[in-house]
Amino acid sequence: MIETLVRVVEAFISALMVAGLYATMSYGLALIYGVMKIINLANAGIMMLAAFTTLVLWQTTGLDPLVLVVVVAPLFFVVGAVLEVVVVRRVSAAAPIVSLLLLFGTWLVMQAFANLIFGGDVRGVRPAYIDSVVHVGDVTLAYNRIFVFVAGAVILVLLELFLRGTFLGRAIRALAQDREACALVGVDTKRVSMVAFGLGSALAGAAGCLLTLVFPFDPTNPFGVLQLKSFTIIVLGGLESIIGVAFASFLLALAENLTVTLSRPQLENLVSFVVLVVVLVVMPGGLAALLRRRRLA
Amino acid sequence: MALLEVRQLTAFHGDVQALWDVSFEVAEGSITTLLGSNGAGKTTTLRTISGILPPRDGEIRLGGERIDGVPPHRIVDMGVVQVPEGRKLWPNLSVQENLVLGAYGRRGRPERARTLRSVYELFPRLAERRSQLAGTLSGGEQQMVAIGRGLMARPVVLMLDEPSLGLAPILVDEVFRVIREIAAQRATVLLVEQNVHRALQIADTASVLENGRVVLAGPAKQIAGDAKVQTAYLGL
Repeated sequence: MIETLVRVVEAFISALMVAGLYATMSYGLALIYGVMKIINLANAGIMMLAAFTTLVLWQTTGLDPLVLVVVVAPLFFVVGAVLEVVVVRRVSAAAPIVSLLLLFGTWLVMQAFANLIFGGDVRGVRPAYIDSVVHVGDVTLAYNRIFVFVAGAVILVLLELFLRGTFLGRAIRALAQDREACALVGVDTKRVSMVAFGLGSALAGAAGCLLTLVFPFDPTNPFGVLQLKSFTIIVLGGLESIIGVAFASFLLALAENLTVTLSRPQLENLVSFVVLVVVLVVMPGGLAALLRRRRLA
Repeated sequence: MALLEVRQLTAFHGDVQALWDVSFEVAEGSITTLLGSNGAGKTTTLRTISGILPPRDGEIRLGGERIDGVPPHRIVDMGVVQVPEGRKLWPNLSVQENLVLGAYGRRGRPERARTLRSVYELFPRLAERRSQLAGTLSGGEQQMVAIGRGLMARPVVLMLDEPSLGLAPILVDEVFRVIREIAAQRATVLLVEQNVHRALQIADTASVLENGRVVLAGPAKQIAGDAKVQTAYLGL
């Protein structure tokens, strides 16, 4: 009984730890969708390229991914901005399926590119502390997960400060709500769209960089699964707020961890899709709509 | 010379022509009104001046300088600012965030603290509601935010599209009082209104649009006395 309780508490804490990473990768998707109404299917590809970039930089410089994120995230801001100007902008007025297919194609090209350069082997970044753990009572915590959580949380707090406290940040939020009104107050909507796509990509880049500490990876895995988890998270948490995305990230991670703890590990990836389907059918507006309904009742 | 000149403006929505050779002038410090029924081309004219809809032909000049073909954000930087029909606020931003974003452009930004104070003096109600989300305000309050947001850009010419639409009579009075005050102290006004009677009362000059063409133009008093206008728009 006590044993089960400890494992449940562990599942909670472990969910919190992985939620930082989930929220970072998902908020990039939410930001880009909010501003441009485009689903960035290349998000997973950007995460993957960022993971390999981190691997190479770690091998050559010996610097920890927690340090490298300061380089990798801005690098993928630039990659995202270029992708927006060269690819996305051209199809922004076309039907949604066009950008969807184009970005899906971009993802496949990125995968093929990584396969060509790095091969299909499973990689990982293993700094000295990778196997170290800390014990709090009966609960065991891995250092790498704590570090990744803290880094993810710091990134999201910085992003929130930027979106709320600067003209450019406010323009990004406003663009998601009414594009033409932005043009009418003097916002260069094309430029701000580019910045938003860059920021979304920088978040995916940061997530790709951090996940090297937690997950083994190859050009395909676990990025495809993570992409689908991102969809579950933004459907659940909504596109409006970082808090919604963070909370949905925690809920999904918790559902996964409890499934692993109380049932079978093989079911972990199934959870995300069950949640996605249930949310879409039962509460298509996500948690926010559910809360609104509660308030009205 | 007029502050804003529109010369033989032609514009299309896709393949459908919306404006035919529209010409009119706005004198500095005046209130000019564009009248006409729904679909006559009033909003299209304002959207073309704002650069949202690039004209097919014709010229738009501000202080003699061509502004047609210039992107919308640059037109705001030149001092031509539109308060759009239906307000187009950002519903999930606070009142204050809506107003401050109005000062995004080059003219408004350095002056934003001072302009914000003066907008709150003009609309004390907004000061009380500054941290409320704009989407939760009443229609009248939203219109005040929309006008305030336009003023935050420090306009030379403020274009108001149907500012009294859907408002209670007491709020309509308030909106027209504010337009007078803006014209007297802050900016030249180009007003599009379905409330023809009230618009002609405060305007100096008026142009009447029908099917995308200017069919009548002149001093507001003269237009108000025109027999056709009286039957078609004033119900006299």
